[in-house]
Amino acid sequence: MQAIKKWADRLTSLAALFGTLGLMVEVAVILVDVVGRYFNNPLTGAQDISQMALIFIVFGGMSLCDKLGGHISVDVFEPMLPRVVIWLGDVIAPALGVIIFVLLAWTTYESAVLSRMLNLSTNIINLPKATFQYVVIAASLITALGMLLKTIDVAFGGGADQKKPELGAGS
Amino acid sequence: MTDYSIGVTGMAILLILLSLRIPVAFSMFVVGFIGIAVLNGLPAAMSLLAGETFTLASSAELVVVPLFILMGNVATETGMSRRLYDAAYAIIGRVRGGLASATVIGCGGFAALSGSSVASALTMGKVSLKEMDRFGYDPRLSTGVVAAGGTLGILIPPSTGFVIYAILTQESIGRLFLAGVFPGLLLLSMFVGTVILLCTINPALGPAGPKTSTAQKLQAMVGAVPIVGVIILTIGGIYGGIFSPVEAAAVGAGFVIIIGAVMGNLTWRGLWNAGKDSVVTTATVMLILIAAHMINPFLALSHIPQTLGAWLGGLELPATAVLLLILGCYLVLGCFLEGFAMLVLSMPIFFPVIISLGIDPIWFGVLVVLTLEMGLISPPVGLNVFIVKSVAPHVPLSQIFRGVLPFWFAMLFTLGLLVAFPQIALFLPDTMIN
Repeated sequence: MQAIKKWADRLTSLAALFGTLGLMVEVAVILVDVVGRYFNNPLTGAQDISQMALIFIVFGGMSLCDKLGGHISVDVFEPMLPRVVIWLGDVIAPALGVIIFVLLAWTTYESAVLSRMLNLSTNIINLPKATFQYVVIAASLITALGMLLKTIDVAFGGGADQKKPELGAGS
Repeated sequence: MTDYSIGVTGMAILLILLSLRIPVAFSMFVVGFIGIAVLNGLPAAMSLLAGETFTLASSAELVVVPLFILMGNVATETGMSRRLYDAAYAIIGRVRGGLASATVIGCGGFAALSGSSVASALTMGKVSLKEMDRFGYDPRLSTGVVAAGGTLGILIPPSTGFVIYAILTQESIGRLFLAGVFPGLLLLSMFVGTVILLCTINPALGPAGPKTSTAQKLQAMVGAVPIVGVIILTIGGIYGGIFSPVEAAAVGAGFVIIIGAVMGNLTWRGLWNAGKDSVVTTATVMLILIAAHMINPFLALSHIPQTLGAWLGGLELPATAVLLLILGCYLVLGCFLEGFAMLVLSMPIFFPVIISLGIDPIWFGVLVVLTLEMGLISPPVGLNVFIVKSVAPHVPLSQIFRGVLPFWFAMLFTLGLLVAFPQIALFLPDTMIN
């Protein structure tokens, strides 16, 4: 179990690494495009690259977000809930996450098969859509693995959900 | 079971899941997915899940979210935010309540960089609370002003609140940003006015700060030049039609990184940490947005918004009364729900009603974002209050809530002004874009 956890942590870090690199690439690509446009030489396909980099950013950070307890939840009723209900909520939350991300990986896989069959690509520089759908699949499975381990930990090992102040957009 | 009763059952299940502390995104995913599967079949739900996720995660408009978050995180990492406060401090710190007013101005400036209220409260709290403590400020005023000032982050553009509203309602991000300028400045003035009023009534709340020489003032102002430059470049670039919001965000983030590196305030590790934090925050935001796009079609299929709209129409109330009713709901909900979650959950229900009544969606967006701000300092779950508590652990929570109360009323007054005079919000977008 410890070995699996170690691997899951490594995969989470790797995904976050790709996400962060995606963000840096995005900044660089748009900057080059803006500066290039000033000299009548914009970067061809900058929008395609920045849109596809967003996939790395969003899904690269997903597993780490869950690991850090970054998902927004409503805990106003917590003081009123019996301990067993709180525990139940702590088990159900990551378990639901596992189902959601496995389902997401599955439906995206079906969609990727279709994308390959139809040779779907981005508008300007024809980046193949399926490649980025595989990124979604891989990152979703890494997130699901992390959540599965969390479910087992809370259900059988008494681990508690980590908490930190959320930094959501609306905040 | 009718479609409507399936919808109502879905919403009841959503509330149960939320009260069990299941993350908002997961709860919306589950209810939306199962609801669509029941109403339209499993293949429709599966297809929507794959399609919406990929479309949103590669949306050209949403590229702006991680970029503005990165800009704010790097500005914090390089200490640029502190320099803005230092400049305001040097100029008005000497007057009674001046440090508190400087904090509000600092929050407003930081808000123009980050778009996040929590980040504004955290950063300005770290910078200003110690100083206000040192000069004998009453903790109620010092903590209250940081918690309230921090909320400016969500109203003064670039605001992620506006970006999310725009995505949910298909409105223009540029128009919303423009619409937020005057209300943001008005609220900032209201906060400064509140500080002055409080310190006039009770001078002990905010004694005068230290006298600074002209040289010190100049030095502090020079220190703030880079951050002011970035603000002018990004916001001015959008309003001047030079950049799209996405380009402005990238240019802003790039400039903050370059300035930080040139001035020697940004290490590789610092940049990496800022990037990683931005990626995590983006994942949080985007997952909720994707979940919202799962639950919205379910609500539409179950005819809940139409039924609510017909019910409100049947009451034969004037549009303004319905608007006030909806804003009242937001004020109450803001006491219990996190602002962003509240926006995502409520918009599919309220927005069609607003449109059917002919209310300007840009004006409504500004009003809603302002009520979200109020929720950030409303007990019992005012997130900014808890953020300030984490920076000032010695101040009891009850005192911080008492401290934010005058500012909450200032916000309510501003909300009233915006309802009475929509042009405060609509003047800029109507004149500059139309």
